[in-house]
Amino acid sequence: MNWKVLGAGVVVTVPLLAILASGFGLNPRVESNALEGQAAPNFELETLEGDRVALSELRGKPVVINFWATWCQPCLIEHQALIRSAQRFAPAGVTFLGVLYNDEPAEAVRYLKKKGAAYPTLIDVNGRTAIDYGVAGVPETFFINAEGTIAYKATGPVNDEMVSSILRGMP
Amino acid sequence: MISLLGRTCILVALTACSVGMVTGMVAGKRQDIDMGKWSRWMAYVCAIATTASIGMMEYALLTHDFSVAYVAEVGSLDTPTWVTIVSLWSSLNGSILLWSWMLGLFLAGFAYLTRNQHQATTSWALGVAMGIGVFFCFLVAGIANPFEAVSPIPTDGPGPNPLLQNHILMVVHPPSLYLGFVGMTIPFAMGCAALLSGRLDGAWLRHMRRWMLVPWGFLSLGIVLGGWWSYEVLGWGGWWAWDPVENASFLPWLTGTAFLHSAMITQRRNKLQGWTVSLIMATFLLTILGTFMTRSGVFNSVHSFTQSSIGPVFLAFLGACLLGSVLLLAARVDKIQPDQATDDGAAPKETSFLLNNLLFTGFMFTVLIGTVYPLLNEAITGKQISVGQPYFDKMTGPIGLAIIFLMGVGPALPWGRVSLRRGFQILAFPLASGIVIVGICLGMKLRGGMALATFGLSGFALAVTLKEMASPILAFHQANGKTWLHSISTVFIQSRRRYGGHIVHIGILCIAVGHVAGTRYTTAHPLTFSAGESKEVGSYTLTFKGTEKQIESHRRSVLANVLVHQNGKELAVVQPRLNHYIKMNQPIGTPQVLSTLTEDLYLNAVNIDEAANVASFDIYIKPLIWWIWFGGGLMLLGSILAFIPSRRGTDGQETVEAA
Repeated sequence: MNWKVLGAGVVVTVPLLAILASGFGLNPRVESNALEGQAAPNFELETLEGDRVALSELRGKPVVINFWATWCQPCLIEHQALIRSAQRFAPAGVTFLGVLYNDEPAEAVRYLKKKGAAYPTLIDVNGRTAIDYGVAGVPETFFINAEGTIAYKATGPVNDEMVSSILRGMP
Repeated sequence: MISLLGRTCILVALTACSVGMVTGMVAGKRQDIDMGKWSRWMAYVCAIATTASIGMMEYALLTHDFSVAYVAEVGSLDTPTWVTIVSLWSSLNGSILLWSWMLGLFLAGFAYLTRNQHQATTSWALGVAMGIGVFFCFLVAGIANPFEAVSPIPTDGPGPNPLLQNHILMVVHPPSLYLGFVGMTIPFAMGCAALLSGRLDGAWLRHMRRWMLVPWGFLSLGIVLGGWWSYEVLGWGGWWAWDPVENASFLPWLTGTAFLHSAMITQRRNKLQGWTVSLIMATFLLTILGTFMTRSGVFNSVHSFTQSSIGPVFLAFLGACLLGSVLLLAARVDKIQPDQATDDGAAPKETSFLLNNLLFTGFMFTVLIGTVYPLLNEAITGKQISVGQPYFDKMTGPIGLAIIFLMGVGPALPWGRVSLRRGFQILAFPLASGIVIVGICLGMKLRGGMALATFGLSGFALAVTLKEMASPILAFHQANGKTWLHSISTVFIQSRRRYGGHIVHIGILCIAVGHVAGTRYTTAHPLTFSAGESKEVGSYTLTFKGTEKQIESHRRSVLANVLVHQNGKELAVVQPRLNHYIKMNQPIGTPQVLSTLTEDLYLNAVNIDEAANVASFDIYIKPLIWWIWFGGGLMLLGSILAFIPSRRGTDGQETVEAA
C-alpha cells in the first residue's frame, strides 16, 4: 500500500463527496418558490446615486424587484425588456427596482451608462437582501403586489410579454 | 407490450453485464483464457440487448405509444418527426437509456478488437468496464426506467423542452458528448486492469492512448457543438458561460488532454506510470461527476434536467468509484512503477511536458473549485453565491496563455538535452512571428493585454506547428528528389499520428483566438425599429421590413424580416424570430447569425410587436467567431488521424510519435 497516494486521494475525494452530498438538502429552485404568497421581506437600501429606498414605503402599489449583476449574461438579455416594461408600467404606478448582486457599484454605474437605465438600482450591502429573498443566482425577478406579498418569482431572464402578463394578472 | 419487451431487453443486458463482470475479473485473476471468452460473449449480448431496447423506444416514440412512460413524458402528436427521434435524449430517463446503449456498443467493440491481445489484462479491463455497465443497466431497469407502463394511457403528451426543438444541432451535440463521456469507461477500465494485473508496458499504454483518443475527439467535438448550439439558440451572443454543466464536460477534457501528453513521456522515458494511470482514472471519474451535476438537480443551470431521485444513487456510485479508484491506486501503484526511472537530468522537452501536465491539472482544479464552491459556501455559511464569469476568466486566462506558450515550446524542442544556444536557434523564428503578430494587432489599434498576448503566443505556437509539419516533408523531398505531392503524401501517411497531433494543436489555436477575439472585441447594439426604418450598425445597414407569421404543428412563430446591407451591397434578409410553443407559456427566440470569416452579425429579437409593426433587437458584432467552430472541426479531424492505426501492422511496431 502506497500511503502517500492513499492520503492524497482521500484528501481530494472525501471533501468533494461531502460537499456534493450537502447539496441535496438545498435545492435552490425548489426552496425559493416557497416565497410566493409570503410577505416580501422589507429592506432599506441606498441606490447607486445615493438615495435611500425602503420597500415598506412603496406599499399600496406593485413593485418589481430584479436581482442582477454586470457579469451575468442572462441579465443582459432581459435588460432592455425590463427598461421597456418599467416605462410602460410607470403610468400605472408600478415601481421597478434593481438590486445589484455580488458586484461592484462602480461597474454597475458604467454598465448602466452604456446599456441604459429606467429605474434605480440598489446596492445590497453584504448581500443581506439577496439572502432574505433566497436568491440562488442572477437574474431573479420578484413581483410584489400592492399588499406587499410576493405574487410571482421568475428565475432567469424575463421578457416583455412575461412581465406584462404577470403584472396584469396580479391582484 | 413495448413496456414489457423493452424492460426484458434491459434485464437481459443487466444479466449479461453481471456475468461478464464476474467472468472477466475471474479470468483476469486466474489468467484463464476460456473464462475470458465468456466475458467477451457477454459484452456482445449486452450490445445486442441494449440496441434492441433503443430500437423499441424509438418505435414507441415514433408511433406515439403513450402507454410507455417516457413517451408520455416527452412525446407529442404535434412534434415533427426529427424532433420525435431526438427526444430520446431530451429528458433524463431516455438519456440514461442512450448511455447504456452506447456503453454496450463500446463494450462489444472493445471485446472484439482486443480478442487476440493481452488476454489476462484485457479480461480484467472487460470485467471492470462491464461492472460499470451493471450500474447503468441497473438504473435503466430500476429508478430511471423509461419503459414503465402508464395507466390510464394519455391521449397526447407535452413534447420535449422547446429549447431542444429549436435547432438542428440538438441532433448531434448530445450524442457526441455522450460518446465522449461513455467512451471514457474503456480507458478507465484499462487503467484499472493495468493496476490489477501489475502490467503497464509500452504496448498496453499505446492501446490506452488510442482508446482515449476516440472519446476525447468526441468530447472535444461535443463541447464545441454545445457552444455552437448555445450561440445559435440561447440568444445571449456567447458560446461559453462557465455554466456548471459546461464545466462538467470541460473537466474530463482537461485531464484527458493531460493524459494524452503524459502517456508520451511514460512511453518514451518509462516513468510517471502512476501519474499517467491516475489521470486516466480521474478522466472517467470526472465524467461521472459531470453526469451527476447534470442529472442530480444539485446545480442550477440552463442545461440541468429536472430534479429526480436519481441524484443520491448517482452520488453513491460516484463515491464508490472515487474511493475504489483511490484504494486500487494506492494498493497497486508500486507494482507498475519501475524501481528506478531513467534519469538523465532536466531535458527541456520533458520539462515542458511536465509543466503542461501541471497546467492542465491546475486548470481542472480551478474549474472544479469554481463549480463546487457555491455549494461549499452554502453548506458552511448558508449563503448562496454565484462565482460567475469574473472568477473563471481571471483564473483560467493566465493558465490558458501558459498552455499556448508550451504548445509552441514542447513540439519545437527535440527529446534529450539541448544547449541554450540551440534552443534559442530553434525558437527564434517562431518567437519573431509572435512579436510581428502583436505588432500588427497594435497597428490595427487593438488594445487589451490578455487578448494581444493570446494572439502573439498563438502566432508563436502556430509558427512552430507549421514548421514541424513542413520540415519532414522538406527533408524527404530533398533526400529522395520526388515530386512535392509525392513527398507530402508519403510523409503525411507515414506520420499520421504526429500530423494528427499538429492538426489538433492548430484547432485549439483557432478556438483560443476566436474565443478571445469574440469576447474582447464584441460590440453590442440594442436597437428598436419601426417598419421600414433603417439603422447603421458598424459597417452594416439594417432595414426592418416588417413581420411575418409562421404556423407549424407544434409552434407559432413571429419573424422579423431584416434586410442587411454592407457598404451599399445587399447581403441577405435575416429573420430572427420569436417562437410560441403551443404547450409552453413563454416565447422563445431564435437569433439569426450572419457569419463571415472575419466577423458575425448576430441578431436576437427581444420583442416583436405585430400590431404596431415595431421590433426590438439585441444586435452584436462579434469578430472571428467562426474560427471557433472551424477549430472544433480541426480537432476532430486531428484526433481521427491520430487514432487510425499505422499501416505497418501490429501495435508493437508503431513508433512513438510526439504531438
